[in-house]
Parts: sequence; C-alpha cells; structure tokens
Amino acid sequence: MSAITAPGILRRISSIWLRHQKCYCKHLLANGFPPFVEPLLFLAAIGIGLGRHIDSVEGIKYSHFVASGLLASTAMFTATFELTYGTYIRMEFEKVYDAILSTPVGLTDAFVGEILWAGSKGVFFSTAVLLTISLFGMVYSPLCLIAPLVGGLTGIVYGALGLIVTSYVKDINNFNFYVTGCCTPMFFLSGIFIPIRELPVFLQKLSYWVPLTHSVSLIRGLILGKVSMAHAGNLVWLLICIPIVVFIAVARIRKRLIA
Amino acid sequence: MAVIAAYNLTKQFKNFTAVDSINFEIDDSECFGFLGPNGAGKTTTMKMVYCISPRTLGSLTIYGMDPQTDASKIKSIIGVVPQDDNLDPELTVEENLIVYARFFGLSRKQYRARIDELTSFMELEKKLKSRIKELSGGMKRRLVLVRALLNNPRILILDEPTTGLDPQVRHLIWEKLRELKTSGVTMLLTTHYMEEASQLCDRLVIMDQGKILLMGNPHDLVEQHIPKHVVEFSLNGSCLNMGTIREKYDCMIETYGSRCYIYSNSDSVLANICKNAKIQHKIIRNATFEDLFLKLTGRGLNE
Ligand SMILES: Nc1ncnc2c1ncn2[C@@H]1O[C@H](COP(=O)(O)OP(=O)(O)OP(=O)(O)O)[C@@H](O)[C@H]1O
Ligand SMILES: [Mg+2]
Repeated sequence: MSAITAPGILRRISSIWLRHQKCYCKHLLANGFPPFVEPLLFLAAIGIGLGRHIDSVEGIKYSHFVASGLLASTAMFTATFELTYGTYIRMEFEKVYDAILSTPVGLTDAFVGEILWAGSKGVFFSTAVLLTISLFGMVYSPLCLIAPLVGGLTGIVYGALGLIVTSYVKDINNFNFYVTGCCTPMFFLSGIFIPIRELPVFLQKLSYWVPLTHSVSLIRGLILGKVSMAHAGNLVWLLICIPIVVFIAVARIRKRLIA
Repeated sequence: MAVIAAYNLTKQFKNFTAVDSINFEIDDSECFGFLGPNGAGKTTTMKMVYCISPRTLGSLTIYGMDPQTDASKIKSIIGVVPQDDNLDPELTVEENLIVYARFFGLSRKQYRARIDELTSFMELEKKLKSRIKELSGGMKRRLVLVRALLNNPRILILDEPTTGLDPQVRHLIWEKLRELKTSGVTMLLTTHYMEEASQLCDRLVIMDQGKILLMGNPHDLVEQHIPKHVVEFSLNGSCLNMGTIREKYDCMIETYGSRCYIYSNSDSVLANICKNAKIQHKIIRNATFEDLFLKLTGRGLNE
C-alpha cells in the first residue's frame, strides 16, 4: 500500500480560487463591464451636476477627489455581493460546498480560498476604475499602481464581513438589510464624497471604525501622490482587521455548515 | 485489518439520535451495504465516514486514521456519490470534472487522462461540453460516479447510486460497480432496492432508527432468518381464522392491512393451506431478501 498523501494547503486553497475564477470568466464580458462603466456614470453625474456647485475639496477638483475613492468602494461592493448573495446561492441552492467538502479541501481551505477570491475581485475591480479615471487625467502619481492592492485588502475585509453575515442569514432577501443598512451608510461615511473632517464629530469617530474609510484614505494618498504617516496608520488598521474578520468568518460559517 | 472500523459510533443532532451506537468492520475490497427505511441513519453514517459530519461518540477509523485529525488524507482516498447530485450548475460537464480533480491536487496531465478514461468508461464522452441542466437524471448520476472516481479512490461511497434511474442505466451502473469491485475498490452502498443489495453486497446491515438490526451476507441472512416459501394473498372477502391455521400448520403468518403473508419452509404446507382454506388469487413464491427486510423493519410506514 502506497503512503497516503493529501494535497498541500496552498494547492487546496488555490483549487477553490480557480473554481471561482473559472465560473467568473465564463461570463467575462458581462461580469467585467460594471467596474469600467460605473465610475463613468458617477463622475459624469458629479461633473455635470454637483461639480458646478463645489469647486474644489482639499485643494483638488471635486470630481478628482471622488474618483480616487471609487476604487475602494467598488472593491467593497464586489466583495460584499460575492460573499453574501453569491456564497448563499452556492451554499443553499447549488450545494457547491457539499461537493467541495467531500474532497481533501477542508472548510477552512474552502472559505479562505473564497475570501481570497473576493480580494482578487477587489484588485480587478479597482484596477478597472483606475484605468477609467486615468483616461480622464485624474491620476497624479505613479504610486497609483499600488492602489489596486489596497483594493484587494478591501475585498478581503468586506468578503470576510459578508461571510459573517451569510453565516446568520436564513433567507436570501435578508441580505438587503446588510447591503442597504450597513454597506451603503459605510459608503457615505468613508470620506469618498465628504471629507471626514467636515463630518460632525460623532460621525468622524464612527467613521474610524469603518474599514472603507481607511481604504479610501490610503488609495487617495497613492493616487494623489501625497503619502504620509497617517496612511501608514490606515494600512496597519487594515492589516490588523484582516486576520480578525477572517478568523471570525471561518468560525461562523463552520458553525453553520457542519452539523 | 479492517479498512473501516466503527465501534459504538453515535451521531446526535441536538437531542435527536440519528445513529445509535453502531459497530461494523469493513474489509478490503468488500462491498458493504447499508439498508434501512427512510431516516434510518444511513446517510448520516456515510457522512461520518467521509469526514463531513463529526461523530458525537464512539470511535471510527479509516485505514487506521481518525476523521477528526486526518480528514484531508482520508478524503483523498475516498470517492463519494452523494444521495443528492451536487454538480456545479455553473460549469459544463468537463469543467465540473476539471475543477473537482483540482480539489484532489491532480495535475493537468493526470486529470486529462483520467477524464478521458472515465467518461468513456461511463459512456459520457459525447457530453463533455454539455451544461449540467442539459443532462438527464441518469447522465447526471453517471457523471457523479465519474467525478467520484477521478482520484482513483480506494474506498467508494455510494449513497443510493441508482435511485430514480431506469432499468437500463441501473444495470449499466451495476456492471461498472462490479468491474470496480474486481479491481479492489472497497465499497459502501446504501440502497432501497433489495435486488441491488443482493446483487452487489458481500455483506450488509439492516438499520432502523439509528440501530443495526442484522448483519451478514444477504443470501445467508434470508436462509437463516426467514422460511423458504411464502404465499401472498388478499384478506378482502375471506373469513380466515388465522389462529387455527397457525395451530394446524408449521408456518408463520404476517398481515399488513388487507394483505396476508404466510411463510413456511415447505411449499406443500402452503399448498395445503390454500386448498383447505379456499384461498384464491394467491401468489406462492420463494421468500426474498425484501420479505426479510420488511419483516424486520415492519411493513407500515416508519414515520
Ligand atoms: N443536519 C441534520 N440536522 C438534524 N437532523 C438530521 C440532520 N441530518 C439528518 N437528520 C436526521 O437524522 C435521521 C437520519 O437521517 P439520514 O439522512 O441518515 O437517513 P437515511 O437513512 O439516509 O434516510 P433516507 O433513506 O431517507 O436517505 C433523520 O431522522 C433525519 O431527519
Ligand atoms: Mg439517505
């Protein structure tokens, strides 16, 4: 009898990532279309409307100020949808995890792979926004090339948060509470549209606990080429947040799936 | 040494006991059946073996390894055909197989060869590019079997592999399973088809309400636990006195609703009973494994 060996952890996690990538790329055009076009719509609305009333914010044109923030929010939304509605459908309707878990891939492997996939979508989506806004001359520094990586971190954080929500949800419609009730407020609190320091004090304090705030600040610094110690703080905040939310997400989903 | 050994294996969900302290040992290259009415605990037992449901009590080893500590290794040598097809509906037949092979860490070269070999083995080679929803129930089942064989498993778990299939596909699957058995694969099979169990299983257990009622070779069990012959007829419109028949003849009587079954080791006794009691519209036949199953688990619904 030959010795029994199971594939290593990296192989197991990457096999999950590849499964998601394969599904996603089957409809590449339809799936890839939104991140290129959505920022155009936002910026057009601001350029035509709001921009005429607000001249500049923190020394730059308002539309340029908003554009950089959109890299972060697009990463947040794509990761959120992927690991709420997407995961729920795979879990409850398609029974994809039942099949996955009867292979050497364990529950931790499967969901770490899933969260990393959300991170990858964060990278991809923020890259798409970056390309779009650079066409309009809204990018100031070559440091912007690092910005999609922050989009990736954002995807990981929001993927894990989405998974935590999924672990509680009993009906797919209930995700609306999370998306509209939590993600949309975070979108507005994160400093994309309104500079944090112009918010009322209690909202300023609250916004510190919103992961998106740190992503926006970091990405904006990179795109505008103005990086300071405060940005190092943002990065550390995200890097501390990630293992915590990932750990909770995997523990919660284990509780839900393993009876 | 037993390939799979379970002692006092128990599974509880909240305060409901689905598997109640069962014991079994499965040998190398054996086909071992789990039979029992709906809810008996067959699927739950299988899930503990393929490491997706942790046991509550007792011990369970697969090639000496414990599912609690060596799940990944154990799962790498097991192939699973689950009760409900769980193919990936977003992917084609071929993509399903590729993705699943990667979960086992197979390289491209390895899985290409396996996929070609197995799809032709299960006669699915023309369907590689089809979407899952374009497949019939029988094709899906064969595809799940192909998927379960990708990793060249030493243990194959078959949870009702032929339920809902037409006789042609069922016979095809049986034939393939026999081939696999000769090649040395150990099999765990659950089924509601008594014929399937008697055809394929070397040994089996009959379970009910989480407990094992009986274990052994299906043909031996029929011989040991039930008389050879049975006459089956309807009680409607007859006024038989079962008590007298039972006293007068060497037989065993069972009734279920208006259906009556009289068992005996001698068919002449049964013929006599029918003649004297003027039973018409009767069937005299050999007692089968199904009769034993129903005798043990009751002819009524268990729910
Ligand atoms: N996740 C679960 N939570 C609670 N109860 C469960 C769970 N899974 C199974 N059960 C219960 O355990 C019992 C055994 O179920 P199991 O699926 O093992 O039966 P089975 O023998 O495979 O039946 P069938 O022939 O219908 O497939 C059933 O009463 C079922 O309701
Ligand atoms: Mg079952």
